[in-house]
Amino acid sequence: MLNPNVDMRDALFDEVCEIAAEDRNVILLTGDHGAFGLERFKKDMPDQYFNVGIAEQNLVNIAAGLALGGKVPFIYGITSFLVYRAYEQIRLHLSGMNLHVAIIGSGAGYTYDLEGPTHHAIQDLAMMRALPGMTIYNPSDSVTCAALGRLAYKNAGPTYVRIDKGVYPQVHENIHDFSSGFGVIGPGRDVIIVSTGVMVHQALKVADELSKLSIDTSVIDLYRIKPVDTESLVSVLEQGERIVSLEEHCVVGGIGSLLSEVLTEKGSVLPLKKIALPDQNYHENGNRRLLHAWHGLDVDSVKTMVLEWR
Amino acid sequence: MDVHKLEQKARWVRRQVLEMIVGAGKGHIGGSLSCTDLLVALFHGGILRFDAKNPSWHERDRYIHSKGHAPESFYAVLASVGYFPVEELTSYAHPGAVLGPSADTDIPGIEIHGGSLGHGLGIAIGLAISAQMDRRDHLVVVMLGDGESHEGSVWEAAMFAAYHRLNNLIAIVDHNGQMVLDYTKSLDPFDEKWQAFGWDVRVINGHSFEQIFSAFEDVRNRKSEKPLAIIANTVKGKGVSFMEGQLHWHHNVPKGEQVEIARKELTIKCLTRMLT
Repeated sequence: MLNPNVDMRDALFDEVCEIAAEDRNVILLTGDHGAFGLERFKKDMPDQYFNVGIAEQNLVNIAAGLALGGKVPFIYGITSFLVYRAYEQIRLHLSGMNLHVAIIGSGAGYTYDLEGPTHHAIQDLAMMRALPGMTIYNPSDSVTCAALGRLAYKNAGPTYVRIDKGVYPQVHENIHDFSSGFGVIGPGRDVIIVSTGVMVHQALKVADELSKLSIDTSVIDLYRIKPVDTESLVSVLEQGERIVSLEEHCVVGGIGSLLSEVLTEKGSVLPLKKIALPDQNYHENGNRRLLHAWHGLDVDSVKTMVLEWR
Repeated sequence: MDVHKLEQKARWVRRQVLEMIVGAGKGHIGGSLSCTDLLVALFHGGILRFDAKNPSWHERDRYIHSKGHAPESFYAVLASVGYFPVEELTSYAHPGAVLGPSADTDIPGIEIHGGSLGHGLGIAIGLAISAQMDRRDHLVVVMLGDGESHEGSVWEAAMFAAYHRLNNLIAIVDHNGQMVLDYTKSLDPFDEKWQAFGWDVRVINGHSFEQIFSAFEDVRNRKSEKPLAIIANTVKGKGVSFMEGQLHWHHNVPKGEQVEIARKELTIKCLTRMLT
């Protein structure tokens, strides 16, 4: 049984290690980016491991060739470099030929806060959502991470998992049905906050604060961003009075946009407030807490925005 | 190997390239003509191991046409060995046709979606690694253009392939000396670059069947651990006198009298051969 108190990356890589030990066709390729769990993989299964170096285009091209050759590649790198630099390769080969490849992007949003904007993955959801056949996950806890490793392995086409680092409180039970794509936390329906990744924990704090003010708020952890089970999601959303999306991603093309699309498609007139990063460049250096404060993603700012939203 | 027969085959392929591109009103004629002899040697000369009736035969050599923007001669060769009916060639680039301006995997015999340059060598690496892991002895052959060789991803792949001793990997560069707007002199010294990246290099005349076969003679049992780069010096537009070596013929389409001249040149030689 998975220990929920492990680093998210370790949870994922522990599962990938187990899978690779069972199936010798699983190949792990890294773009010279490390993780504790990767060391174990390298040590135990050296023949199934390649460090391709800082060469993201080659990394994805090689993964495509491995998949065509009957292997099951898991590729790993810093999200902002992997997705942005090698987007064409991901688009043409992994999506275009529907290849069985798992892309593990280290860093979702401000994971690498102090490294600056080059390391911030804040447009990748917009980019990857636009690719046909791309399954996209963003886990909020280690239990989900472990489950996703297995789901990516079983998915016949390309899977993109963007993950944070660190240990986060458990959100989902081990027995949660991860094929559903989302989890609902709490019974409140005055406001439903939809979030993904570690911002789910932020959303839970906001929900807690709002509930104390008699605004009964629940949270949806949308850990599978594509495909979305639209019917099931909308049926939950429509139980709510107002919907808020909260994400560490630019306002264009992320969770908020997804909800707009889904609700419009269903002809819903539910009020939707998108709380996300504004569509502008920034160069301030700061840790996650500061970046949130500057961009209105901290608990107080979000709470205030919801309270003032009438 | 009957070189005369292969030359006739090549002439036939070049004629198909002309008709396909004239019929569609579009295509990359110069770059398709330059690699024709190489393709004929690979598929008609007994170099590649394949089964046209079973395109997914597990033991086949993998051939990647990385210069996928110029698939016309490749299509003609695939048809000529039986991957699909020759009649399909007339549909080239017509609306709804399977044979499109860029090769894709819907077409029997085609391994990757082509059309964007610089990807094929990296993909070939993945295939080569898979083969080595599974102890399968098929080759992985990838054809690149020299214009294509400006892409950084080509050199990322070249570095990796040599370092990982992928000696079942062969890169053929259709070194026709041109890209779209200019000559490719900025690549010089081209063969030395591949050597510096750790490849075995063979420089040949890409229009000489003797030299092509000589370059491939030992490919299934080379002692070297290095991947092999065959730099084939070719002429863009080869086979049509007014196109040969001219910058104009990357993606322009011959018209009117040009078509008639080209048709004559791609027929007369054949007739002459047949009559003598």
